[in-house]
Amino acid sequence: MNRKHREIELLVLTMFAAVPLYFTFSVSIAALVIFHVILGAIAVRVAMGKGPALIPARLMRAIAIAYIPFYLIDWRVLSGSAIAASTHLVLFIALYQPIESLQRDNRLQRLLTASLIFIASIATSFHMAVLPFILAFVFLMFRQLMVVSHLESARIAGADDVELPTARTAGFYVIGAGMIALFLFPLLPRVRSPLVQGIGGPNPRRSTGLSESINFGEGRVTSQNTAVISRVWVDRRTRQMFDAIRLRGTIYDRYDRDEWRQTYRGYRELPSMDDAIAIAKAKGVESTATVQQVVQRGKVLLPVGAVSVSGMPARLFEGPTPQTYHTYYDGMLNLSVQMAYQAEPLQLTRVAVPKYPVLPEVAALARRIVGTDTTPVGRARRIEQYLMKNYRYVPNPASLGKTMSVDDFLLRERAGHCEYFAAGMVVLLTALDVPSRIAGGYYGGRYNPITGYYVIRRSDAHAWTEVWDGTRWLTFDSTPEVLRPGASTGSVLREYVAALGDSLNFVWDRYILSFGLADQLALAEDLLVRGRATLASLRQKLSTDALKVGTRQYGALAAIVIALGAMVALIVRRRRSLFDALARYLKKHGIEVGPAMTMEEALDQLRRQHPDAARELAPLIAMYEEERFSSHEDRKRRTRIRRKLAELRA
Amino acid sequence: MVLAVAAINTGNNALYIAVALMLGSLLLSGLASKGGLKGLDVEIAGIDEAWAKRPAEGTIRVRNRSRLWNVRDVVLVSDAFAEPVLIPFLPRGERTQFVAFLFPRRGLAHVTTIDSYTRYPFGFVLKKRRLRVESEVVVFPALLAEDGNHDRLHPVAGEQASSGRLGHGTEIHSFREYVRGDSLRQVHWKKSASLGRWIMKQSEAEAAHAVHVVVDPFKPREMSEDAFEEMISAAATFIHDAARRGFDVTLSLPRVSVHARASESATPLFRALALVEPMHERVHQIVDRDAVLFSVAGPAAERPASGRPHAEAR
Repeated sequence: MNRKHREIELLVLTMFAAVPLYFTFSVSIAALVIFHVILGAIAVRVAMGKGPALIPARLMRAIAIAYIPFYLIDWRVLSGSAIAASTHLVLFIALYQPIESLQRDNRLQRLLTASLIFIASIATSFHMAVLPFILAFVFLMFRQLMVVSHLESARIAGADDVELPTARTAGFYVIGAGMIALFLFPLLPRVRSPLVQGIGGPNPRRSTGLSESINFGEGRVTSQNTAVISRVWVDRRTRQMFDAIRLRGTIYDRYDRDEWRQTYRGYRELPSMDDAIAIAKAKGVESTATVQQVVQRGKVLLPVGAVSVSGMPARLFEGPTPQTYHTYYDGMLNLSVQMAYQAEPLQLTRVAVPKYPVLPEVAALARRIVGTDTTPVGRARRIEQYLMKNYRYVPNPASLGKTMSVDDFLLRERAGHCEYFAAGMVVLLTALDVPSRIAGGYYGGRYNPITGYYVIRRSDAHAWTEVWDGTRWLTFDSTPEVLRPGASTGSVLREYVAALGDSLNFVWDRYILSFGLADQLALAEDLLVRGRATLASLRQKLSTDALKVGTRQYGALAAIVIALGAMVALIVRRRRSLFDALARYLKKHGIEVGPAMTMEEALDQLRRQHPDAARELAPLIAMYEEERFSSHEDRKRRTRIRRKLAELRA
Repeated sequence: MVLAVAAINTGNNALYIAVALMLGSLLLSGLASKGGLKGLDVEIAGIDEAWAKRPAEGTIRVRNRSRLWNVRDVVLVSDAFAEPVLIPFLPRGERTQFVAFLFPRRGLAHVTTIDSYTRYPFGFVLKKRRLRVESEVVVFPALLAEDGNHDRLHPVAGEQASSGRLGHGTEIHSFREYVRGDSLRQVHWKKSASLGRWIMKQSEAEAAHAVHVVVDPFKPREMSEDAFEEMISAAATFIHDAARRGFDVTLSLPRVSVHARASESATPLFRALALVEPMHERVHQIVDRDAVLFSVAGPAAERPASGRPHAEAR
């Protein structure tokens, strides 16, 4: 790799470091494009054998001086963020440095700049694709560091011929460092800085996907976004208890100025007891579900039927409307949710019938549907069935070609999307003075047969109806079941490929992206518990099996253990250093070889006390010294010394 | 460090992956550099004529004993090396490398250690290991600038040129001490008997292209070491020049004389000079009339009355 290639590789490394910034939106796209175009042009110049000075060095210095006030403008006005402005600054430095390299060797500074860009890139990245990016960057960085290290060594030695490390060597170190990192990753302390709570830039992709209100006077859009909202595990019993998983996000319980709105009642902190946060009173059969989700704008989407939550890394609030939940934690949640067949509110709040101006025709329709049924639940069930059977589901609201009111939906069009079905049912129940509300959230999801969880995407957004039966809110869904989100299926192969992709995503989300302090503590606890259990079972086994020691099996085992022990002892003995072996021999003759004593001195003492023994030992000590102070080991000589020593001992 | 702070501040596990990789690479680089150095053995294979203060060519044998690690970018440094030596790459095995040695002073130089340094693979840390070697080198005295030595040889060379005594060459010209290899025919029995040691006759013809150098190792206490070394260097330079011009050279030191014919190498003479130690007491030495005496203490050696004026180290 000559100088030109090295320079091009360094430029490529710098450009590559900034690639994820296009996807994280933490800096402006225009700045990134300028950065890549200029560096690319410099790389082309270098490849053509010209210098990197695309812009004359003097002009570049002048631009650099002008950038200082520009940075302040960028910070306060253009970007409005110190982080974005600082990233722009680092990008500018990365452009300046190749031109500066004509004056002095600044390769190490350039690598540092590339590393800073790399940090900015991954600090705001959450997607799994960041992993291959990190590995590729580390590979290129290792190559560059090896080049710098080698050139420095060659410079010190005044050597001309350079033998640069190959890509294979860099690959070897990436694999090696990766294996060590695999071990270190779960052990690194996940301590958050108390001063700076995140420096991540705004992510425009982050939204709940649920609207603040429902206005049928405006066009509605069905989301086709497949971003994962949540993953939910439910056991077999839970699956039998509920028709499908419903994550409740928003409650529209008020009709005001032609819009269905939420009643804001503020945020009430839910007390935690033994890590579990009670959110409702449980009645009937209970079961457990595990919910993983990224918090979007503070909203925690819990399954309908949830009565308590554990594993919350921060405080949980009920609000802004009852039975909806909020947290100030910004990250991924892995919650264990206790569910019950019947979940009653912890606190009774005033339940009222929405103030919807019910038309006489609608009231007549409602009465016709329910007939003689007088109970709220019975009436709700009849209306649900009626809408399911007699109304047509339109998945894309735009296909209607116009906006329409709920009354139009009920009396004339008889076709609409899920919000019309939910609102229609609420209007019909309002006509009958039965308290009800529209619930917005996510429904169903797709079952992943590989990992056994339901993956719920943004495209699974749905609305349904909740009816007050006097003690609790009951779920009714008048949208035809086969037409609800997530019901459409593709080919089996496609389903499995999608499941595989999502499984990988899940592993990334669960064990990499959201691996935190709680997981570390759980891991430590688990190891401790397992260790104790193993010890206890071993003790138990030893005490119960003590009586069986006399049997043939145990006899054979004991023989094997003894043989192994003897083998180990033999190896240890053979491995004992020559010095120790000689010292042991000398000790037999009453000469204690101290730590600061040479064999020659010990031999002198032996000569005085036992001249005959000294005469025999002298050649061995001479051989030992020859071996000890030789620049290379001679195995045969060592063996000869040991053998002769054994003969002397005999 | 920056990476670790960023990881703590953002809590983003992608950064923790990078931190783990970074720590992994640090650990691995430490293991690689230590492993590379640990498996390294160096042995001085040989050194050509080593003159003090002049680089001498030599070879070292470098061996990598490690089964796992390659030796890369290792810089060897020793007091005996003229400049650091780079071993760019050495997989398992052995190779010989040329090295320039440089010894500051004459004598028996012991090369016992060579320090090996490496920053490989990433330059994060500098690792060092001291390698034990066993090597003894006889370093010849430093040679002085040649200009000054021509003058010293002039009397001898001039005499050779103008001598009309080449003739039969059988007349006794002078006496000298016995040197191994001398013929018994040249023994001057009478003088030998009176002095109690072998004294050889030198014929005129022989003396015409022969130089007898006497080095007096007496160094008065007030005389500096440097002056003594300068005198030894002057003698070495003189012998070197004479040998180059094709003279037979005899070097006399107390209790030893070394002779080198024109056709032979003068190495034994330089070796003898290399090992001369200063003496604080005068030692009796016979200096024949044509001998060139090198001394820091002025004429002290016994010189026959008919002897020619001697040259002295200045």
